[in-house]
Amino acid sequence: MRVDLLIPGLPAKADHFLFGICSLLLLRDGRRTILFDTGPFRVRAMLVEALAAHGLAPKDIDTVFLSHLHWDHIENIDLFRHADILVPRLEFEYAAAIRVSDWGTPPYVRQMLEGMRIELLDDREQEIFPGVQTLLLPGHSVGLQGLVVKAGQDDIVLASDALWSARDAVRGHPDVAFFDPEKGQASLARALAAGAIFYPGHDRPFTFENGRVAYLAQYSYQLRFSFQPDGPDIRTMISTEDRISSEDRPLASSRAGDI
Amino acid sequence: MPSEIELLFTGLAAEADKFLFGTSTVAVVRAADQLIVFDTGPYAYRPILQGRLRRAGIDPGAVTKVVLSHLHWDNAANADLFENADILVHRDELNAAVSASGRDWAIPEYTVRALKRLRLRPIAGEADLASDIRMVELPGHTAGSIGLLVGRSLLAGDAVGSAREAVAGQIASCAAGAQVAAASLKKALAISDILYPGHDRPFRVAPPIAYICDYELRIRLFVDPSGQDEELHFGAAAAKSFATWPGN
Repeated sequence: MRVDLLIPGLPAKADHFLFGICSLLLLRDGRRTILFDTGPFRVRAMLVEALAAHGLAPKDIDTVFLSHLHWDHIENIDLFRHADILVPRLEFEYAAAIRVSDWGTPPYVRQMLEGMRIELLDDREQEIFPGVQTLLLPGHSVGLQGLVVKAGQDDIVLASDALWSARDAVRGHPDVAFFDPEKGQASLARALAAGAIFYPGHDRPFTFENGRVAYLAQYSYQLRFSFQPDGPDIRTMISTEDRISSEDRPLASSRAGDI
Repeated sequence: MPSEIELLFTGLAAEADKFLFGTSTVAVVRAADQLIVFDTGPYAYRPILQGRLRRAGIDPGAVTKVVLSHLHWDNAANADLFENADILVHRDELNAAVSASGRDWAIPEYTVRALKRLRLRPIAGEADLASDIRMVELPGHTAGSIGLLVGRSLLAGDAVGSAREAVAGQIASCAAGAQVAAASLKKALAISDILYPGHDRPFRVAPPIAYICDYELRIRLFVDPSGQDEELHFGAAAAKSFATWPGN
């Protein structure tokens, strides 16, 4: 099974909104065309463009794998109403009555998925396609599942938010295992032991050897703020492209705007 | 006592090349015997919205009405937080949202199904919600865009996206017709002294034309897994008035 990165996760937090830009992946073996997670609405156009760059339209996706049912992984599910939707059974059952304190799972998830062909994935590890194994990674949410894609020596781990960013690997501690911290801790270890190439939920893919992260992809975003109707816009950039490795000095702490 | 507007989220005129910010305005209107929430933001606001409601001393269960200016993803995603409220949406907006061919791309297909679990109240035409609160029609950005006029202050939704659009006399995103949208923008400016745009800070329409509050945003990036975060900090002070204005 071939794995292509459609959108790399963005490890960013803002003070008055959640970014929610998670890793969106395309899995193909000539028979199946599988989308791993669908992303938040804010990347909808970007997702359609990324598919087009692989010669695909949303209708060409025959299977969607939802790692879990948080808003930022499912908001674009309505682009794929024709597809088979694979959902961890624990996640789907939990969605009928979510915890009051859980702000990640929309209480209207079942309405979002209504009328779709849902295939529930039992809470056990199994081969769901040739060379593609489910990985049970609860803790971030009730029943999160990732995938391990067999690729010779370097198995690929699609960990979703059980591994939020590469920082989780470096620290050996999950940043956002808020549903069940203990299980989250075990799931992080489980994910890191399951292969050699890691796709985190909200960061770029990386390899991790001897405590060192080596990223395998870049991202670059231009941002524009208009603060004054008669003044110039403020422009800035979020980019990794001028960095060679994580050992490089980060960009000078940016400060923009007429504060 | 006159009704009062309190901002929960100040809209932000921000754009990125590849993703949408969707940082829209969310406000609460305190009236004599009602608590009205105007717009609910994108889902990305949810935990922060819950925190701000708590800090403002607002029990979501005590909110009597939620007015949705329109049904875009960045306005209507959190209406379900207000379980006892009537959810007011213009009938034309609902009709457009359920029409397979006419649905706006920025309204997810599941939006109306999710809203139908709530106390959804389609409104045709304009309506008085209190002696000094009126729901006004401002179509153009979408088929059934509405605003909420509180005294002479207008929560405009995306009928006026920003002060820049007010200055230009034209809004950028007008799926339901540029002329209709321009007429709504003109109406919004004519009926208000203070205007709360959908994606910008509130500003005084009557001279001296100026923003009435500050604006700040911080973004933290975990760029280096073994090192420090990078922080971006944007902001603008309210005191700076803007000079360019039609007829100024």
